[in-house]
Amino acid sequence: MTFRQRLTPYGLLAPGLVWLFIFFVIPMYFMAELSLKTGSLETGYQLTWAWNNYTDAISQYSTQFWRAFYYSAIASFLCLLIGYPLAYAIAFKAGRWKNLMLFAVVAPFFTTYLIRTIAWKTILDDSSPLVSFLKTIHVVPADGRVLATSAAVIAGLTYNFLPFMVLPLFAALERLDRRLLEAGNDLYASTAQTFWRVTLPLTMPGIVAGVLLTFIPAAGDYVNAIFLGGTSQAMIGNVIQSKYLVVNDYPEAAALSFTLMAIILVALIVYIKFAGAEALMGEDEEAR
Amino acid sequence: MSAQRSTKLRLLALAAVALIASLALVACGGDGGGLSGSSNENATTAEGGEASGSLKISNWPLYIDNKTIKEFQKETGIKTTYTEDINDNNEFFGKVQAQLSQGESGGRDIMIVTDWMAEKMWNLGYVQKIDHAYLETVFDNMLPSLKDPAFDPGREYSVPWQSGMTGLVVREDLAPDVKSINDLFDPKYKGKVTMLAEMRDTVPLVMAADGVDPTEATTEDWMNAIDKLQKNVSNGQIRRFTGNDFVQDMIKGDVVAAIGWSGDTVQVETDNPNIKYVQPAEGCSLWSDNMLIPVGAPNSPAAYEFMNYVYEPENQAQITEYVNYVSPVKGVKEVLIKQDPEIANNQLIFPSDEFTENCFTQISPPGDEAEQKEVEQAFQNVVTG
Repeated sequence: MTFRQRLTPYGLLAPGLVWLFIFFVIPMYFMAELSLKTGSLETGYQLTWAWNNYTDAISQYSTQFWRAFYYSAIASFLCLLIGYPLAYAIAFKAGRWKNLMLFAVVAPFFTTYLIRTIAWKTILDDSSPLVSFLKTIHVVPADGRVLATSAAVIAGLTYNFLPFMVLPLFAALERLDRRLLEAGNDLYASTAQTFWRVTLPLTMPGIVAGVLLTFIPAAGDYVNAIFLGGTSQAMIGNVIQSKYLVVNDYPEAAALSFTLMAIILVALIVYIKFAGAEALMGEDEEAR
Repeated sequence: MSAQRSTKLRLLALAAVALIASLALVACGGDGGGLSGSSNENATTAEGGEASGSLKISNWPLYIDNKTIKEFQKETGIKTTYTEDINDNNEFFGKVQAQLSQGESGGRDIMIVTDWMAEKMWNLGYVQKIDHAYLETVFDNMLPSLKDPAFDPGREYSVPWQSGMTGLVVREDLAPDVKSINDLFDPKYKGKVTMLAEMRDTVPLVMAADGVDPTEATTEDWMNAIDKLQKNVSNGQIRRFTGNDFVQDMIKGDVVAAIGWSGDTVQVETDNPNIKYVQPAEGCSLWSDNMLIPVGAPNSPAAYEFMNYVYEPENQAQITEYVNYVSPVKGVKEVLIKQDPEIANNQLIFPSDEFTENCFTQISPPGDEAEQKEVEQAFQNVVTG
């Protein structure tokens, strides 16, 4: 390898690294520092290594933390439940409709996130046909409601993040070598067995990626809780938003953000350990 | 193997360099302590004189009609940049505080905030005094009731933009008997009641409903009212805390009674005659949004010119007709009675003295910054419960 050849990868990496450094590392550093300060917006913040910002954040808002993870876990699970058959159908059964169906999955992105969420207020409002139907079949009690409850927030999260589940699943399913399925049949596996023992394991990377892409943004979301939630559906994102923009308590807000990030990071590491790193990265190294 | 290790080492070195560089950056940037102890003691007075050049105004969304600015430019030749970049007093404060504390206005000549925020900015020395000599039209035409507010006696630094009332908004067909704030806590309306997410709108009304005079309230009174809200959140009485969007819930009938703003109600009443503003038995909260000239405003003569311009009844009428809030300018009713009698006779836009008899001026919690923050945090904990 010549010197120049050895330098090439760095040259290619450089723009990305510089970008990450300026727009990720530096802001993160400032936020970390801010989270350890005390003071007020008017008098300025002093670095006092106020670790109690963190203990306060966790002890005071553990409910909202739990709620955020609980909601986003259910939403991710529902996305998987809805998304897998959908991605499967698009990849295997759609035929010439494939592109159109993929477009339909992405189409909601043509409208902004906010508008899409507000639209759900109409779908779920107390006198909407859907809610009346749910009342007739006694899923919702006669004097109950859907809007301004946990169910509405979870429904909103599920809807908003579904494409992030479907697309990686579709990519994984599309890539699947069909001959393996034929081989499964040839070896006397039923269709169900082939699915459980061939298709599902081989599309695991798609599932892992999909779950990450839905769970992480959903856990930090606050828009769905604002519009679709009521008074007891605030997620940790809502607390952070209120700390930043209403109370103007920046250190506490920064501490909350970091705590959220840390928890997600730990959850991520555990998840990847559990699911296997190959599942996320693909099993290229062994296979090729 | 060794090649791999050296790659790892180099990556590590790169990371170390990155970290050191960011530390160096922080060191250069100083500790960002800001100005502590700035105050209004040596507040300057905004200069007047021949108005020309350009003008930059920051205001709330949908708070002006779409002709006034164009006509002002045409008449005065002052190039005006009108930005709707204020959505919330606190949020705006957070955005501009760093610049204002350095004596810079971010190019703004006029910014418009609510009474209590105007006072807060004044106390911090972020606002210039106004020279009444250059504001003849303004003070000739200002409603007498607005000339001497508690937060700015004699209008030393603020000029009202529009005023409004916070009170009850009711679906008359679904909740005909809601007449007082206490009726919002009637179990009959469980889950069909909303309140405003702005503490200074909601909490004083709840206090007044319990017989506490909001203008004399102690921190404890505020906390008691917040406790009462918490109870009604826990038992499901209060459905949501809202901004202007309380109107949408009400149109659909999901919400039958709310604490809301008069102006938004006027705007929606025409299409939905069932939605009505009801003056609460215990009175309403009166507030104004005020034009301020921030420190470091590049063109205060033009700011004076604009203030005088919008205080001409003819020009003001155009704004009132569009925004439907209470106008601070005398003579607007007389102009509108010919053009648009429906608006001129609306109690919410031109309230009579009897209509606002029991009302009080919107206030902040008592005490210093830290005590106020505590109350604000307690309220926020109810909102994001």
